[in-house]
Amino acid sequence: MITGEYGVIRTAEQDDAVALKRLYDPSQPRSALLDRKRELLVPTLDELRELLNHKESKRGVFYTVEDRCGEVHGFCLLRGAQPEVSYAEFVVMFFEDADYATPLADETFGFLAQRAFVQLKLNKVVAQCLDGEAAYRDFLVCHGFESEGVQRDVLFNQGRWYSLESLQLSAVSYQGSGGA
Amino acid sequence: MPIKTAIFIRRAERDDLDTVVAWMEQSDFTQFLYGDTARSPKQIREQIVSMLGRSAGHPLPGGIYLLIDSEAYGLIGMLSLQNLSWRNRSCNIDLYIGNRDLRNRLVASLAAFRAIAYCFDELNLHRVGAYIYAFNAPSWRLFEKLGAVRELTLRDHVARDGKLHDLYGYGLLRSEFEAFCKKHAQLIERSEITMARPEGSVAEATGTTEAAGATEAPQ
Repeated sequence: MITGEYGVIRTAEQDDAVALKRLYDPSQPRSALLDRKRELLVPTLDELRELLNHKESKRGVFYTVEDRCGEVHGFCLLRGAQPEVSYAEFVVMFFEDADYATPLADETFGFLAQRAFVQLKLNKVVAQCLDGEAAYRDFLVCHGFESEGVQRDVLFNQGRWYSLESLQLSAVSYQGSGGA
Repeated sequence: MPIKTAIFIRRAERDDLDTVVAWMEQSDFTQFLYGDTARSPKQIREQIVSMLGRSAGHPLPGGIYLLIDSEAYGLIGMLSLQNLSWRNRSCNIDLYIGNRDLRNRLVASLAAFRAIAYCFDELNLHRVGAYIYAFNAPSWRLFEKLGAVRELTLRDHVARDGKLHDLYGYGLLRSEFEAFCKKHAQLIERSEITMARPEGSVAEATGTTEAAGATEAPQ
């Protein structure tokens, strides 16, 4: 458990399944919740409990982000982090868009970046956001992520097409910004 | 647009197994696509049997493996449609021209065209994506000629021979492909007629020489 100035980051537990399910809102699709085929499937609570029960699942280790009062604000994880591929997917999900611009979000970024670049010694982390995730994109760019391009019309959801932007933060950029 | 002309797409038969195994044993296959060079022929054979067993006739397959065949040249290559989403009407395409003699010739371009036409005209997809290594210039040039747009440049994303290389992400939408077909209808028709001839360099005959080695999806 990491206790910061503004919040607590801890390994997600089965009891967090209800909170995690709140993120699966079909009217506001999140890039991090799409599967390999870029489809948005809403899992059941049992499936989410099963997911959170596997600490080292393929999806990576989920961390719960709480404020100092113990209220869950979101989740974060490094997905697919393996030394041989030297990169991982960087994922932060808050329930409220406004949370991406808070000191709690900065602490969450610091925690994941530290894990990626200092502990795992990755070359880079990549992140993705749909064109409806403006607050998340701003959060990423604010922390040094640079766009690598936009894939058009990758998701069809509730009658409209969504494009998907890929961003990356290299270890060199992170360290150059004084991150480590 | 009819699929079976000079170059056509078909499901694999058991008789194709030896040819496909030979292609997958080529060093190019591992270099441009995927796989472990240390794999034994038996392991490759088992993988292929598994792949070919995934029937394209299944109502909603998540992946489709097909062969590209021709009347004039015989088997040309193999086609793999990955992450096939029927909700998003999209897929990622892997294309391998197994017959090395046919690379850098028009026949490879037509094979790629035929593969993409299958995605749009038969599967009714909206988007076809391809991930291609930056060092595989013939492949990404070919996709660009077919109207695909380079949407992504993933820097230092793939390790080959101890070095990190960029990976390009391409996307081709149905509307773009239709525009390509409309613009080049006469050329495509002329090429197909030329292809049907049993002899002669069709590349020289049409002046188109780009060819695909392979395209790749991320691991």
